[in-house]
Amino acid sequence: MEPTYGSRGINFCWRLRYLFSKPERHDVVVVRFAGSRVMLLKRVVGLEGERVEFRNGKLFVNGSPMEEPYVRYPCNWNLPPRKVDDNFVYVIGDNRSMPIENHYFGQVSMDRIMGGPIW
Amino acid sequence: MVKIKYLIIAFLIVMVGILATVLVFPSQEKKVKKRFALLSEHMSKDPQENTLIMVSKIKGISTLFGENCNLTVSDYSLSGNYTREEISGIALRGRTHFSILDLKFYDLKVSFREKDLAQVNLTARLTGKSVYGEHVDETRELICLLKKVEKKWLFSSFEVIEVLKR
Repeated sequence: MEPTYGSRGINFCWRLRYLFSKPERHDVVVVRFAGSRVMLLKRVVGLEGERVEFRNGKLFVNGSPMEEPYVRYPCNWNLPPRKVDDNFVYVIGDNRSMPIENHYFGQVSMDRIMGGPIW
Repeated sequence: MVKIKYLIIAFLIVMVGILATVLVFPSQEKKVKKRFALLSEHMSKDPQENTLIMVSKIKGISTLFGENCNLTVSDYSLSGNYTREEISGIALRGRTHFSILDLKFYDLKVSFREKDLAQVNLTARLTGKSVYGEHVDETRELICLLKKVEKKWLFSSFEVIEVLKR
């Protein structure tokens, strides 16, 4: 999530953040990746029912290019369009300087969204 | 006074008996968890490992698996149903890619779906260094099934949970 959040930093999760609402686009969320202890910080870029794709490093949602001021490192990712399933959101990290194969991203079930970082 | 003395002795005997029972006859859950500890031990590798130790560890791995084991790994083309011998081959090939390898299991939650079938939800962390000098640090959530065959719990299925689906 660099440069928004530094690698190996300590962050606190606000568990009640999505108790009465759903994550919105550009929200940073805490994703439960494995067990109850391994969490990832990711940014929501696509909501349920939307189509997400990358063309030469540019994110497109439902065919429209998205402005992402939080992305500082350019990339040349290409990803064919895919629809986000019901009760899922599409999440990606801000640091896209690495090859697409080495980046953890994709659609994640709402059940795995633990909350959002406090700051 | 004498009564109290006998009561204390009886209590101590009962406590020692319970402790001995727990130690000598571990619960099924402990037996299942022990299989993961053994798998972790056999998978680990250090740079000084010689051929003899390697053969012993691979043999050790094969004894932990049933006649057939199903692997479900979405990111890789490894998914499929394998025999015990094929599992040994996969473990052998996998280990040769690393000069240092450490496989640890955390947060094991054991449940018994049937009398002789255990399901374990856990976190697996693989750390090490490839023979090309690359550092590896991968963590995944797994669901494993173990079947009890001739009083031994044997791995019959490994599924890597796909949390982020591209």
